[in-house]
Amino acid sequence: MGDIEQDNSERADGENNKADKLFTLKKWNAVAMWSWDVECDTCAICRVQVMDACLRCQAESKKDFYEKQDCVVVWGECNHSFHYCCMSLWVKQNNRCPLCQQEWSIQRMGK
Amino acid sequence: MSLKPKVVDFGQTWNILQETVKGVITLADVPRATWNDRFSDVYSLCVAYPEPLADRLYSETENFLDNHVTQLLDKVKLQGENGLLQAYHRAWTEYSQGINYLHQLYLYLNQQHIKKQKLTEAEIIYGTSSAASPEYQEQKEIGELGLYIWKNKMIESLKNSLVSLLLEGIHADRLGEAQRATTDVICGVIESFVRVEEYKTKGQLHLYQEIFESSFLKQSGEFYSREASELLQQSDVTRYMERVTWRLSQEELRGHKFLHITSVPKVRQCCEEKMVAAHVAWLHTEVDAMIENERRKDLSLIYPLLRPLPSGLVHLVQKFTQHITNEGLQAIGSLQGENVHTQFVESMLAVHSKYSELIKDLFKGDQAFIGALDKACSAVANHKSTPRQSARAPELLAKYCDSLLKKSAKLASESEIEEKLTRSITVFKYVDDKDIFQKFYARMLAKRLIHQQSQSMDAEEAMIDRLKQACGYEFTNKLHRMFTDMSVSSDLNTKFTASLREREGENHQFGIGFVVYVLQAGAWPLGLPPSPGPFHVPQQLEKSVQTFESFYHAQFSGRKLTWLHHLCQGELKLNYLKKPYLVTVQTYQMALLLLFEHCDSISCKEAAASLRLSYDQLVKHAISLVDCKILKKSSKGNLEEDSILTLNFDYYNKRTKFRITGALHRDAPHDTEATHRSVDDDRKLYLQAAIVRIMKSRKILRHNQLVQEVLGQSKVTFAPSIGMIKKCIENLIDKQYIERTSNSADEYSYVA
Repeated sequence: MGDIEQDNSERADGENNKADKLFTLKKWNAVAMWSWDVECDTCAICRVQVMDACLRCQAESKKDFYEKQDCVVVWGECNHSFHYCCMSLWVKQNNRCPLCQQEWSIQRMGK
Repeated sequence: MSLKPKVVDFGQTWNILQETVKGVITLADVPRATWNDRFSDVYSLCVAYPEPLADRLYSETENFLDNHVTQLLDKVKLQGENGLLQAYHRAWTEYSQGINYLHQLYLYLNQQHIKKQKLTEAEIIYGTSSAASPEYQEQKEIGELGLYIWKNKMIESLKNSLVSLLLEGIHADRLGEAQRATTDVICGVIESFVRVEEYKTKGQLHLYQEIFESSFLKQSGEFYSREASELLQQSDVTRYMERVTWRLSQEELRGHKFLHITSVPKVRQCCEEKMVAAHVAWLHTEVDAMIENERRKDLSLIYPLLRPLPSGLVHLVQKFTQHITNEGLQAIGSLQGENVHTQFVESMLAVHSKYSELIKDLFKGDQAFIGALDKACSAVANHKSTPRQSARAPELLAKYCDSLLKKSAKLASESEIEEKLTRSITVFKYVDDKDIFQKFYARMLAKRLIHQQSQSMDAEEAMIDRLKQACGYEFTNKLHRMFTDMSVSSDLNTKFTASLREREGENHQFGIGFVVYVLQAGAWPLGLPPSPGPFHVPQQLEKSVQTFESFYHAQFSGRKLTWLHHLCQGELKLNYLKKPYLVTVQTYQMALLLLFEHCDSISCKEAAASLRLSYDQLVKHAISLVDCKILKKSSKGNLEEDSILTLNFDYYNKRTKFRITGALHRDAPHDTEATHRSVDDDRKLYLQAAIVRIMKSRKILRHNQLVQEVLGQSKVTFAPSIGMIKKCIENLIDKQYIERTSNSADEYSYVA
């Protein structure tokens, strides 16, 4: 616990203006969780949670699991969201959103 | 000398030849010149003009040999019973060598005349017109002819007395009364039974087996039966086994000394049958006590004895399994205290290594016993004290790993920890409920990572790799993702700091060290904050949060961030006391303390409102601060809504840097329960998925087959109960994934 004194002298300059405060906030280790900003958290095409890789990617990623997951989410103009992999297969068959039957056009992609 | 065929007087030439033949067969001195001349005589007889005289030469030689052997027989018989073996042996040694030479002298006859007549393999198999007649007498090469005559004359007439003398000799050897000289004789005589047939293409051993081996085996059997029953009366099991082992090895040596090599295993088998198999029931009763008391010497003796018997080891293996199971259960049965997990894993390992050592030493690493050890260990590891409870092994094992991977005061060396972790895999492999282990492990790993309690990241990664090796990729997938999140976060923090520096110059900091872990939802076994309401982030932190959020959204798109305040920690410096203290607190506690910047006292109700926390939550955090005396409360007893909280200005602590453990840091018992419950839910999903997969590929399946396949698929991670599988099947029928077929009650079909 002897290192505290040293610690103080190091930061002394930053404290001058706050000396009258009761507390000084030294450090904050925050934890946050990210998730896709979606309305429905399962992909309607493969029925897997959008946070997980789609079925195909899960089967393939056995080879290179150290890679960052790159099975991202895509939003259509209709605001429905799917795995990008699932949707790109889907539009080859039918260029409509599987949920609302609107013409499919990409609004944005997850990154 | 000319090689041209010429007229030869048979009588004259044969007379000369006969003299030499006699000399050769009795191993007398035959000068080289004479040998050469006779050699060409044989040639000239064979090619004689106008008629070749080979057939005549053959029959004369046959007659001669016949007479010679008859004479030898008479001579041998003269020696009477006592000298018979020796005399026979002498005669045989001489004759067998002589006939060999003679064979060479008649080389031309053998090669040119007799070989040509010989039936080929094909003719023997398919038969030819000439060989078909039964009276057809095939001519033999001279060497073979000599041996054939020996067999018919000598051995046929002497065999009974010879064999009984041989058996006597061997019996004497068993009793240790044989002399060196007789050994050679016996050996030679037995060999003659084999050698005499050496020209035969098959069935060379017939004569040997017929006249000698069968009676030998019979006699040996009798001898060992007697020996065994005598031993049984006068000695205990150890002595008995020692004796039998000794006998077996002696008999093996004796076999190599006297017998044809093919008889050795037969004698051994005969011996084992009489001395071991006949008394196997008794040995089995002795086994129980041997194993009970782990009498190593006895066990090492009995193993080689029982092994050759068909299913001879079954009883031993069974007892052994039982014994290890008992020992194991005893070892883990009475564990108590703080470090049950360490005791559990280490006593399991102690039992395991003790018995694998024993198997290596005493049972030559026999697979059957290794199997027994595995069976016993998994019985111990998955033992349930009551049938309704689940086994404790998965949790204890995870805790054990946690205690090794965590930073701790006990400074074990890195290699020591590595070794212990490697060994823990041994136990892990025996655990049935690997999914439960995974849940616990993941939670503990999450805690270690978030609170930076890991001893070393290398060790963490090595451990995950070990688990992956044991259980496959899917098992460790989430653990890996947690791991990646940590490195991604550290990159992110570097970038964040850099971007701040760019924008605001050196003076960027918010006056605090700000580090954030951004975790991927779904991969971490973490709950959301207890009251996911709009918690009021202390104003001192607001800027950090906002800046980071906008930074993050610029980096990524389509993502949303949820702050897990219950996992965040801050370090506060207390300036209002005699000396400065550094306190590590949870965000909620920090927020509560920071309220006192603006007021001297506050009621619980007000605090909750101003922090926008639920009242229960606030009380929980307030209590932990009150308990460690940083806060004072106005009323005795429990905190009420209107209890007033104030700062304790007389706070004193010996240490100037410390941590306040929040309520959430302690592993409450309901945590364990929740883990088990969530495992149960996962299992149901897993089973349903497995059933659908199987049914999709099989279309129609009977109930029992389906259950079997499900068990097969799930055994890598856990052992489901049949009841659970049944429930899942019913579930799926309700959901119309599968249906019962109309023809049978226990058959299902897949509904596409």
